[in-house]
Amino acid sequence: MKSLRSWLITAVAVAGLVACGGGDPYVPGSDGPAGAPTTKGAFSAVVSFGDSLSDIGTYKPATSLAGNGTPPFFGGKFTTNATTDPVSPGDDAPLWIDRVAGALGLVVTQAEIGFAGSSVKCPAASVPALATTCTAYAQGGARVTDPEGIGKAGGALTVPVKTQIANHLAAFGGFDADDLVVVWAGANDALVQFGVFAATAAQIQAQAAAGALTPDQANALLLDAQLQALGAMKQAAIELGGYIRSDILDKGARYVAVMNLPDIASTPFGQLVPASARPVLTALSENFNLWLRESLRDQPVQLLDMFAFYRELLADPTGFGFVDIVTPVCSAAAIEALTGGAVTDGSSLFCNATPGAPYNTLAAGADIDNWLFADGVHPTRGGHAVIAAQVLDELRAFGWID
Amino acid sequence: MRILVPTLLAAGLAASAAPAVHAQDNSLMVGVTRYTTDSKSNGISGVGVPPGADAETGDATTLLLVYERALTPRLSGQLVLGIPPRIEARATGSVAFLGDGVLSARNVSPTLIAKYYLADPSARWRPYLGAGINYTRFVDIRSTLADDVKMKDSTGWVLEAGVAYAIDPRWGLFGSVARLDVQSEVVAVGATVLTTKIDFRPVTYSFGAYYRF
Repeated sequence: MKSLRSWLITAVAVAGLVACGGGDPYVPGSDGPAGAPTTKGAFSAVVSFGDSLSDIGTYKPATSLAGNGTPPFFGGKFTTNATTDPVSPGDDAPLWIDRVAGALGLVVTQAEIGFAGSSVKCPAASVPALATTCTAYAQGGARVTDPEGIGKAGGALTVPVKTQIANHLAAFGGFDADDLVVVWAGANDALVQFGVFAATAAQIQAQAAAGALTPDQANALLLDAQLQALGAMKQAAIELGGYIRSDILDKGARYVAVMNLPDIASTPFGQLVPASARPVLTALSENFNLWLRESLRDQPVQLLDMFAFYRELLADPTGFGFVDIVTPVCSAAAIEALTGGAVTDGSSLFCNATPGAPYNTLAAGADIDNWLFADGVHPTRGGHAVIAAQVLDELRAFGWID
Repeated sequence: MRILVPTLLAAGLAASAAPAVHAQDNSLMVGVTRYTTDSKSNGISGVGVPPGADAETGDATTLLLVYERALTPRLSGQLVLGIPPRIEARATGSVAFLGDGVLSARNVSPTLIAKYYLADPSARWRPYLGAGINYTRFVDIRSTLADDVKMKDSTGWVLEAGVAYAIDPRWGLFGSVARLDVQSEVVAVGATVLTTKIDFRPVTYSFGAYYRF
């Protein structure tokens, strides 16, 4: 029996070695936020940070009919600006954030209005009753951290989300527990990183075509360029998660909703990208979303999965009331003509959908309610309506609103 | 297959109650092992990974060290250790251009085997069959694709067939073939997160010398 006993000791020792071994390796992004409030909020303000998807009119002065920055304006929001009152454009084209605020019975106004070097903070403060409503900080072209946003060179302010939050802290000293804080950012980081990738990829492909690189070498370099872009998206997402933790949650906010990035490859802009590069565009959103989720792990916020929502919408456009989800309703040619050749990319910032107006720039036959896109990446009035409905549904599901 | 081990142990327990006393209860075996793999994976998944991305593992040769304890004349238990071989994976499928070294790790792989000899200790040739448990821990993991790679430990069965040849009562030679069940989940974290499950499906070919004492 002695021999058996010593053998068993060995067996137990090895079994112990097995027992102390590693379990499943943790996969980043597999756990998300946790601990957000589950009770109804007594919301007194909507505080919004982000980019053009939530910009309710920062760049109005760029769309001055007189061309000198003064009203009336024919645009101002990155959607199908339509109004019967040119002094207040966009009233007939509320963004999702306008609609959400409206559903809560709240008013939210631009934190800053300006273009090309001149800007005014909290313009609504000229009406004392509105002095505390200037909490829509989102600006078209804005990135998460980098102040060099899209359109900066052309005069856009592109105050990054990091600074947008800092500006709110400077103006209000912190967040109120009754603020509904919404953050939707990262799309411009994706567009910038995609631009960098596309330029590098073009060089690599030219070298490969000239025989300077073997196909394997070219593929390895392309993957490297893709990993660089993905790495930049990871960094932006982790930085955004950091701002949400230290500059929003730690500064008193309780109701914080963070929206992730939809798949830019499915937008009209994405459709124009060569099919071989489209997966990269998708990956940029996915990687940002993965690391945003990871950086908010166990944080008391709610994540709104706009990536999944957009996929749902694409799978069943008619179910959401759309007959066209790939054609921009704004005519790039009409916008170019209206702006005297200054705007050639068809940006919906300059798009007006007012019926019969001389500054109407809709494409023939376009519909701002049952077509999804205003331009390459921005939703129409109808697009914003379904986003707002989705956000409100989620806020209800969180128990934050009735 | 794991049921086999307790069964054999129980057989050994019953047999050891018999008054058989062995002059040499212990053996030390030293040899060389060729660790060959015929890996299968579920593909590499992750953000930005093209469809059809895969990898396959290679082979390695390493030094083997075995301690064996006779429990009865025919039955023994052995603990197989060795210098952990570095198994390398090369990219295949749609990412074959990445080539070798996309992943490599040293397999620390202690194995417990119950061995049944088909001949008595006095025989010159002693064929044997074995079954047991292999535990593999992957250490010193490297990847050209990510800075931080983790691999799940593997616990699985092992089946062995071999033969021992006695030069004299103490010294002899052995040769064996074993099939192991070694699987792992890989999580590689860099700019993005890559995951895969690898079934190494290793077959080892070992030979060497033993000393009984």
